[in-house]
Amino acid sequence: MKTKLLKIKELPIILILIVISIIISVANPAFMTLENFLDILKSNLVLAIMSMGMLMVMLTGGIDVSVSSVITAVAVITGYSLMHWSSNLLFTILVAVLSGTVMGLFNGLLIAKLKIPPIVATLGTMSVILGLVLYITNGTWMTGIPEKFIDFGRKKLITFPTGDGKALGIPIQFLFLLVAVLATWFILRKTVIGRGIYAIGGNRDSAERMGFKPDRIIIFVYAFEGFLIGLAAVAHTSIMRQVDPNAFLGFEMQVIAAVVLGGASVLGGYGSILGTLIGVSLFCVINNGLILMHIPTFWQKIVVGLIIIGSISIDMTQKKRTERNKTRVDVE
Amino acid sequence: MWSRRSMKPELKRRLKSKEAVLFLIFVVIFVFMSILSPTRFLSLYNLQSMAYQLPEFGILALSMMIVIITGGINLSVTYTATLAMIIGGFAMSHMFAGGSSAGLSVLVGIILMLAGSLACGAFNGYVIAYIGVTPMLATLGAMTFFEGISLQVTRGGAISGFPIEFIKIGNTAVLGIPVPMIIFLFVLATVYLFLERSRMGATLYMIGSNPKVTRYSGINVRKNLFITYLIASLLAGIAGILMASRYNSAKESYGSSYLLQAVSAAVLGGTSIAGGEGKVIGTVIAVLIIQVISSGLNIIGLNRYLTNVVMGLILIVVLTINFLTREKQFRNN
Repeated sequence: MKTKLLKIKELPIILILIVISIIISVANPAFMTLENFLDILKSNLVLAIMSMGMLMVMLTGGIDVSVSSVITAVAVITGYSLMHWSSNLLFTILVAVLSGTVMGLFNGLLIAKLKIPPIVATLGTMSVILGLVLYITNGTWMTGIPEKFIDFGRKKLITFPTGDGKALGIPIQFLFLLVAVLATWFILRKTVIGRGIYAIGGNRDSAERMGFKPDRIIIFVYAFEGFLIGLAAVAHTSIMRQVDPNAFLGFEMQVIAAVVLGGASVLGGYGSILGTLIGVSLFCVINNGLILMHIPTFWQKIVVGLIIIGSISIDMTQKKRTERNKTRVDVE
Repeated sequence: MWSRRSMKPELKRRLKSKEAVLFLIFVVIFVFMSILSPTRFLSLYNLQSMAYQLPEFGILALSMMIVIITGGINLSVTYTATLAMIIGGFAMSHMFAGGSSAGLSVLVGIILMLAGSLACGAFNGYVIAYIGVTPMLATLGAMTFFEGISLQVTRGGAISGFPIEFIKIGNTAVLGIPVPMIIFLFVLATVYLFLERSRMGATLYMIGSNPKVTRYSGINVRKNLFITYLIASLLAGIAGILMASRYNSAKESYGSSYLLQAVSAAVLGGTSIAGGEGKVIGTVIAVLIIQVISSGLNIIGLNRYLTNVVMGLILIVVLTINFLTREKQFRNN
């Protein structure tokens, strides 16, 4: 039992999460409350949904820096569709998911068919998409989302009664996260494509020889990521009740950082859904904790930066140690 | 006049090289911009203002290129530049306000700026080379970290009150050539000699194409990587000095748009993002292209958001052309 527990890959990061949570709750008991947890959940749903797509991309050895501009574009399209076409929920989700998938498909084609390195291709699409969105919207907020959609966004899945008569609840947007996680889990664990994703991330040539079609898998991965970004955009719009074309500036770095904190390797082939979710939680808890601990905003970036480097370094030394032990066994 | 047969094979090869194609693209764009706006694009004023803007971007692109050649990337490059300029600028303006002579404060300021950038480089280099963290992640964390320290010093504002002698560095010309341009040419020559004409430069290419084999061939990869990040950060520090001097102040957000542009310039110039490949001249031509496009589109009054769209499209189109030519060569062979 003990050894089995120690073998969990995510153990170091789980321990870091626990230690940090304890430090924060000692400093401010308000951290360990249901209200705060629901708050963290609601404000980081979008990050969590998008991290699932990024995880899949990074498993293939790719990276996508265009996520922030894609979600901005999808949110603007969704907002426009809500205001000018229909406030029907299913139609809205369809529009969002379709536009996200198309943009993802475009990235996938550039990377798989034209063999442009992922970071460069998505850098290009990022400046194209964001430039177009900002040109069309002129950077101004879109307000006037129909009431029907706003009411949907206010719904709660499960409510918990609290002492003072107010009711806390899990936001309806949690469903989007659930769908994203389950879909990612299903693809990675239960389909041939999922095996292919890990295989081409581990070694592209061997994967190809085994009969996987890397090009198709890569196109699928980016399209699926776009699909998830579509879901994230609907969740975001229903939470914020308006569309701000500048809301996601620099968000791609947060998504990448969260996935990487969760133990995914940027070189591909290594990373798990559980790890990624813990990475996202760690990222959110740190941000939330720094506010609760009344740490001046200027210090927050220093702390976040150091924690990113620190936890990856710990992870790295851990990996090195296990590798060294492995070789020692081989020699004997 | 130039029949195909009389061309020497060496010359022919050179004319077909990536850099030659890139230079041709540069010429076409330059001519195109000149035709679009002959009076303003070709004006002495515009050419000079481009010559003032280009060096800081060019040096950052070269810094990025060195790191990419070793198979890494430095996302903290612009924050290295700004942290360096803030540390040095803080000391310089305080010394100057405290009654020290202008010359001494400028000297101390510049030394601290260079030292600050070296410290950033040592931090990145240690985490990447000795702890073994992937460059993208290490520098991603460092980016936030450096930004945080900068904000801690400036409290979100800008540091100003530099002696006029410091401001002159970025704003004067000698014999009509802006001082930043002279510094850029000097840096360019040094980087060229270092990368393409020195033993250590060759080592960096080897590390970039295969670190494991390089290590087994008896080369201290860690030490070389560490020095790479030191050098790249020193270049960022020099760019920081130019920016602080040109803007007459120091702020953490200066030049943040240069980050992705620097990666674009290196890649457009033919540097392989996977490492082991890339030429200084290619990066320089790419820098020229990006500068001419951004200045040119600005002059003809194109919306600045659409300028970003054009930049992105050019990046994608050039890489597509690269892919197609490679494919053609592959098929011919």
